[in-house]
Amino acid sequence: MTARLDRRQTLNVIAAAALFTAYRPRPVLAAPPDLRIPDLYGARMAFSDQAKALTGKEITLAGFMAPPLKPDVKFFVLTRMPMAICPFCDSTADWPRDIVLIKTRDDIDWVYFNVPIKVTGVLELGTEVDDETGFVSEVRLVKAEARTL
Amino acid sequence: MTFTLKLAAGAAAAALLAGSAYAADKATLTQSADPYFAEGQATLKRVMEQKTNTGKAKNIILFVGDGMSLPTVTAARIFEGQKNGMGDKAETNLLSFEKFPYSALSETYTSDGMIADSAPTAAAMMTGIKSPNGTIGVTSAVKQGDCKAGLEHSVPTMLEMAETAGLSTGVITTARLTHATPAATYAHTAHRDWEADKNLPDDAAAAGCKDIARQLIESPYGNGLEVAMGGGRTNFIPATMDDPEDAGKKGVRKDGRDLTAEWVKKAPNSAYVWNKKEFDAIDVSKTDHLLGLFNRSHMEYEADIANDKAGEPDLAAMTTKSIELLSKNPKGFFLMVEAGRIDHAHHEGNAYRALEDTVELSQAVKAAMAKVNLDETLIIVTADHSHTFSISGYADRGTNILGLATEGGKVLKGDDDKPYTILGYMNGPGAAKDGARADLTNVDTTAPDFLQQSLIPMSSETHAGDDVGIFAVGPWAHLFQGTVGQQYIFHVMDYASKISEQAASM
Repeated sequence: MTARLDRRQTLNVIAAAALFTAYRPRPVLAAPPDLRIPDLYGARMAFSDQAKALTGKEITLAGFMAPPLKPDVKFFVLTRMPMAICPFCDSTADWPRDIVLIKTRDDIDWVYFNVPIKVTGVLELGTEVDDETGFVSEVRLVKAEARTL
Repeated sequence: MTFTLKLAAGAAAAALLAGSAYAADKATLTQSADPYFAEGQATLKRVMEQKTNTGKAKNIILFVGDGMSLPTVTAARIFEGQKNGMGDKAETNLLSFEKFPYSALSETYTSDGMIADSAPTAAAMMTGIKSPNGTIGVTSAVKQGDCKAGLEHSVPTMLEMAETAGLSTGVITTARLTHATPAATYAHTAHRDWEADKNLPDDAAAAGCKDIARQLIESPYGNGLEVAMGGGRTNFIPATMDDPEDAGKKGVRKDGRDLTAEWVKKAPNSAYVWNKKEFDAIDVSKTDHLLGLFNRSHMEYEADIANDKAGEPDLAAMTTKSIELLSKNPKGFFLMVEAGRIDHAHHEGNAYRALEDTVELSQAVKAAMAKVNLDETLIIVTADHSHTFSISGYADRGTNILGLATEGGKVLKGDDDKPYTILGYMNGPGAAKDGARADLTNVDTTAPDFLQQSLIPMSSETHAGDDVGIFAVGPWAHLFQGTVGQQYIFHVMDYASKISEQAASM
């Protein structure tokens, strides 16, 4: 299914002109594995074998950047589908289950929520409650860098 | 022309005599050998043979496809036909409820809005009056958020009167059970967002307003609802209580009450279930009151149901079990079934999930028809409001409904020289915020996660103001004709069942 997202690279080409300042060209070594969020899950939202095997390793995930919970933070939520708000949820606690918390190295240049992006970072699995925000995450990419396609 | 005269004479005769006498002297037309002509004749015959049922509606089932606009129905019909391999015949497919004998158009404006939200629209069906956007089970004297006015101008609902009259009652939904549409059966509130006590402003709580979840459990009519199933578990359990399905998550109630436990204690033979295994294990012969809360918030989309952590029943399964339980009452029952997430998928600009959920609603209606006697059961299928969803371009028959508009094998293009999909939205998340729309030439628009393009960039696609359909079968279903105010649905249900009369005599 990776091919599908790749074909979506054409989406919002114009909006993609806004590149992240955080983006730095990476050295051309072995490229980290390129995944989609559903690849991280097996049956009934359990982590997939692939996800478990890649824990602690650098991977690239495709998805979309949800708008900031607040400005000037170094984290954001990566969503499988474009999701500006959760129009049918009553609080941030009701985000879809398959979101990924992205903790970035540098400040984030926010892009519109339906612009396809790719994020490279180190995969962490398991429940973590953020001390500052109380945000509960199950999957994280840390030391991450994001880029538009 | 003799031809015209003959037809005119025939028409006059038909007006005076039975329709069958007219059929005998019909002209033979050049096009009469055409299969479409035969189809038209078959439809004519079917409609002429329809017999109105003026018996009492012992049972009423009201299906509401939240946001199920007429284009949604049409697209879902084609979508289902294509899934079933009908190819270029898919356009001739009909959803289960489209085969109902009677239909009408429902005007969805509210007492203060040209375009509605789901609260007053469901309330119109439940109470027989239009009311302001954002409110449930109150009159138009109430401003959204005015707790005191809401308490003073609350009006009884069809479900409450059915309870009072001794019928069994139920409400099931794929959205939160406290969401606007299901809430309209049992709750009265000046603000649809007061789903749990944590959502109640202090002044509203002080003035005596109760949150929606609490109103469900404390419903004072009859012996309380027999069936209530859907999502929205967090609104029923305390903020200190762990959620059974999602580790690390808790309820939201501030008052510390576990309403699920209160439901079980309230009446004998009551049960609470929160996953498919428990749901499947319920023996309706031993259960009189069933509460099901299958997700913290809304239940899954039909397309994602296999991914649910603990597993949950689909709408058809919930409908079947509900009818089995409610049918135990010889006096009859009232049931509302909401396909609550057609609306959510549209808000997300995602046609695929909206259509899958619409097809599931069709399945639920089919399941209901297999469980009831249609001679004594009035079934109504409608929507609360429309969406900005449209089916456009000049696509050939048999073109993938989720695909690009193509004609004669050629992809059709806009003046920007880019292809476009058959399905699209006037506004929503699929729009480019700045600059030109995306080129879909190499995009798989049939993928489940694809968002259809839209014109105006909005984080959430909006409702629309066009009429929605009412489809009906059973006693007095023939009262659905023409273009009617949405609240008329209540008036037919009440006339057919005499529920308000029965309730008043108790």
